[in-house]
Amino acid sequence: MRGTLTSRNNMSLSDIWLFLQQGVLSGLVTGSVYALLAIAIVAVFKTTDVPNFAQGEMFMIGGYVALMLLLVAGLSYVVVIPLTLVVVAAGAALFQRVVMERVTGSKGVGVQLVIATLGLAYGLKGLVRQTGLGDTPRSLPSLVSSDAVLIGDAALTRLDVVIFVVAVVVMVLLYLMFNKTRIGKAMRAVGMNPRAAQIVGIRLSRIRMMVWAMSGLISALAALLITPKVLITPDIAHIAILAYAAAIVGGFTSLPGAVLGGLIIGILENLVGLFISTNAIVVAPFLAILVTLVARPQGLLGGKPQVKKV
Amino acid sequence: MKSMSLDRSAPAVAAGENSTQSMSLDRWALAAAAAILLVLPFTVTGYVLYVVNLLMVFVVLALGMHVVIGEAGQFALSHTAFYGIGIYTAGMINAAWHPPFFVSILAGGLLSAVLGYVIGFLALRMRDIYLALATFAFGEAMQWVFLNWEGVTGGSNGMRMQPAELFGLKLTNDLQAYPFVVLLTALMLWLTVALSRSQYGSSLRAVRESDVAAMAMGINARAMKQSAFAISAAFAGIAGGMYTLFTSFIHPESLGFQTTILVLTMVVVGGIGSVRGAVAGAIAFGLISELLRQALSIQEVIYGVILMGFMMFMPKGLFADRNKRAARTTTAEAQR
Repeated sequence: MRGTLTSRNNMSLSDIWLFLQQGVLSGLVTGSVYALLAIAIVAVFKTTDVPNFAQGEMFMIGGYVALMLLLVAGLSYVVVIPLTLVVVAAGAALFQRVVMERVTGSKGVGVQLVIATLGLAYGLKGLVRQTGLGDTPRSLPSLVSSDAVLIGDAALTRLDVVIFVVAVVVMVLLYLMFNKTRIGKAMRAVGMNPRAAQIVGIRLSRIRMMVWAMSGLISALAALLITPKVLITPDIAHIAILAYAAAIVGGFTSLPGAVLGGLIIGILENLVGLFISTNAIVVAPFLAILVTLVARPQGLLGGKPQVKKV
Repeated sequence: MKSMSLDRSAPAVAAGENSTQSMSLDRWALAAAAAILLVLPFTVTGYVLYVVNLLMVFVVLALGMHVVIGEAGQFALSHTAFYGIGIYTAGMINAAWHPPFFVSILAGGLLSAVLGYVIGFLALRMRDIYLALATFAFGEAMQWVFLNWEGVTGGSNGMRMQPAELFGLKLTNDLQAYPFVVLLTALMLWLTVALSRSQYGSSLRAVRESDVAAMAMGINARAMKQSAFAISAAFAGIAGGMYTLFTSFIHPESLGFQTTILVLTMVVVGGIGSVRGAVAGAIAFGLISELLRQALSIQEVIYGVILMGFMMFMPKGLFADRNKRAARTTTAEAQR
């Protein structure tokens, strides 16, 4: 947080205006990363009915795969970036194919599926700790300079701008994929009605694998974007809580909602840090979740509340 | 369509765990457990007794989660929050007034139950994934409270707790606490079994199978869920109180989501809906987590593999298969 400009007790109006600008802009940057992760959560939930509790760990493993390739294997970024994306996406697809297919197949529902993803979460975290890379907080060398960019009165770094732009480009690409390509439409069809989708010739297991691969890809991308900015440890998987908050605020089944929710959570987090206290940042997403679920359980863009058929 | 229902194909509501064969097995298991627990304090050292005490606390926690997930079918993830409330309430009351320990344990259980009732009122309007997420958020928010309410919990420094007392006798080590921990666990186990066999228990299971059908039979599904949530919270609070009997230090770090997951794992791997599953799961996973405490990374990998493996090959848990077979044979007999 950059907000240690004045003591919080006697803020002048111009300070408030400055804080507001800074909070919103920084919030958009981090929020765009939460939005990416929230998209991954929502896409997987819509097509496979699985709330992926390993989302944070998939993100984390993205960061560590990149670290390992860069620092241990000594490869250059040109190789590291695509390789990281491919490795994490393939891993996620494999998990769906080998583990989740089987759990769904053995009449596992709800709890069983969640617990399987928790198993993945534990496994990934343990693996990273085993390598010893996780013992000290690390970050990836940045490709972009951290020179300041002034927007209004607020200061961002070039890296921040790049993060935001890349995230938005990815969102646009995803939008195009879901709306223009056959595969994207097939994913949406599976989300709406898996049986009907199957009848018209969509192969469920293949689409589900692809959705998981896509969520892995997005997670790794988010990791590549944010790890030059922050230090990572195996516990950075906690970031998924913010993505969950984003998904819930947006409505758990809406992709545009995930984006909106991500930006809201990012801004909220920054404003809370600037205006209230950095200590309260941690609790802000939970309050957002609780308030949303109590006041408007379907979220901002979740459409009508779901009624379970008997 | 997007339902996150629990274990639809569970044995019929009434079937429960009543086959005669497993009843006698239960008796043997109970007798063996009683024998072991009786001999234990004379044969082992303090650390082993500490672990046994801790396992008992886990058993009570798992029983509490069994009530809300196994019996009522509600996927709530706020168990550790109530456990923490139980610990801090009992700890504070012990420090302030030095009452007999069961008073402070009861107070922790009651406060948890009341809070559980209120949270249940808000959260149980939602179902499935939304309920899970709301309770998860509540649990995390409570951990934040524990970490930041320094006047009460000592914040991130943790809190030293006064020893629990019983009419002037201070419980200062694991051996002194042991008999009371065992008795309380037995009491909670008995309560769970009684609840499960009562009319209330079958109403809960009716709600679990289909709340619409249950309501059609005149069961107030909402009230049932809410009371089950409160009872589960009370169990967690009492488990917290039991914890204060044999420990003198508590840190909010241990009151996070991972503890809820640990307890959830116990219940699910043991077999959702089965009391003996909850007990067996608590003992097995309590041991694993304590034995592997020093080797965090290996512990996590082993956990991950166990969780995924069980969900892949034995999704109904250790103790569900036997029930299913029992249920099937009863149906077969009935058809003959």
